[in-house]
Amino acid sequence: MADSILTLKNLSVGYDEPLITNINVEVFPGEIIAILGPSGIGKTTLIRTISGLVRPLSGSFELKVEKRGGLGYIPQRLGLVRHATVAHNVSLGARTRIGFSLNMWKERSQRTMEALRMLGIADKSNEPVRRLSGGQQRRVATARTLAQRPQLMLADEFLGELDHSNVEIVFKAVQTLVENGTAVIMVEHHDDNAQLFATRIWNIKDDTLEDLSLEQWNNRSHGGEEE
Amino acid sequence: MKYRLFAIIFILLFLAWNTLNGLIEGDWGRLEGGFENLSVFFSESMWPPNWSVLEARSYPVCESDIEFFCSVGYIGMMETIKIAFVATILGFIGALFFSSLAARNLVPLYVAIPVRILLSATRSLPSLIWAILFVIVIGFGPLSGVLAMTFYTVGYLGKLQYETFEGMANDSLEASRAMGLSRSSILLNVVIPENSNHLLSQLMFMFEYNVRHGTVIGIVGAGGIGYYISTYLKFLQYEKVFALLILIFVVVVIIDLLSMMVRSFVNDEGDVRRPTWLNLILTPKEK
Repeated sequence: MADSILTLKNLSVGYDEPLITNINVEVFPGEIIAILGPSGIGKTTLIRTISGLVRPLSGSFELKVEKRGGLGYIPQRLGLVRHATVAHNVSLGARTRIGFSLNMWKERSQRTMEALRMLGIADKSNEPVRRLSGGQQRRVATARTLAQRPQLMLADEFLGELDHSNVEIVFKAVQTLVENGTAVIMVEHHDDNAQLFATRIWNIKDDTLEDLSLEQWNNRSHGGEEE
Repeated sequence: MKYRLFAIIFILLFLAWNTLNGLIEGDWGRLEGGFENLSVFFSESMWPPNWSVLEARSYPVCESDIEFFCSVGYIGMMETIKIAFVATILGFIGALFFSSLAARNLVPLYVAIPVRILLSATRSLPSLIWAILFVIVIGFGPLSGVLAMTFYTVGYLGKLQYETFEGMANDSLEASRAMGLSRSSILLNVVIPENSNHLLSQLMFMFEYNVRHGTVIGIVGAGGIGYYISTYLKFLQYEKVFALLILIFVVVVIIDLLSMMVRSFVNDEGDVRRPTWLNLILTPKEK
């Protein structure tokens, strides 16, 4: 098995008070992990901690990705530049991974258009993001990560507001990243999406993270229904 | 809630009245006859405005076919507009540099605080004092005006800009930081485009402000229409001063309309209904 790209050791996350304590898990390339749990339990805080935006309360985590562009992050409010065009937003992803060279403009542009086409929004490339619907904006945020090609993608409820066909378009695009070794950690509210796409589930209950395979999660869910 | 708002406004008005009363030591008698004095001064000295300021000067000889282009009003106003334009552009770029180093969400506190102090120092001298300083250092003329306005613009716009940056939604900053974009790239590609509506508004406001203040700094010899206003004031030609003030007012209104048009390209309202030149003045009928 490949080396892990993320290792959490006795990690506790939260702001003043710990929300989730004593997390010990590893993430490997190509995995898709869905974080499930009720609202306010610390799912967002956990991925914000992994992305380096919040300090851990205790314990540590080791992130083995490139400093520049190795980590892709789609926050709950998407983090788009509303007054800039769709193409500008998506090119920000490409910008992090393509260094200075004579061809950099061409490469950025190619990668941007490729991502836009994959998400079905190439015709919107010159429109300001603020004019797009919520669902289209989610596709722009996904395209930005696609153009970035990170080693680890963190996404906070990025499938919300999308109808079923759009969920499939977005996830097909994410799948191309996964096939190239990107690991995905996504906060999800819908168990259906988690079951369709995830390979592992991090179920957060009280202040504990349970690391479950999809099979274990399914067994537990069905078992729960039978009860 | 409504009563609380009224109560706050009442308390503020009372405080203002009480402070004013202290300042004038309760001598409200000064206001007696004030309105009458104003109306006499206006009707006898300022009215009607003397529009000869828009006619060609007798010296130097006008070489243009259109007399207006050789008038005091046009020459003075154009010089003021040029001074304001150059100072606003230079000041805006300088302010962007300093404000990006003063916004607490963009740089650490130990960088932001000294830069804020520097901006406060620049702003604490009014443009008139800057103009006097530069007239002493460089001499009379538009260059002193440009430098005076540029320094003041950096201080003034710098504060408006860093407060705008600090008020922006955090999610786009967080996403770009997590992605590994450099500080300069975040500023150029995220912060500036995201705040473009406010930045344009501030830029246009500052241009208008500098045009208006061009009249003041001209008085101390820093060029522009203020030089002529100061001359007419010395010779008690108030009706010519009034004509020039009307000219300044018209230019300020035009700049305001221009600002509305420019900002419509970067705000949500402009997406729905971008104003035409005509309906900037006349409200369009609802369909």
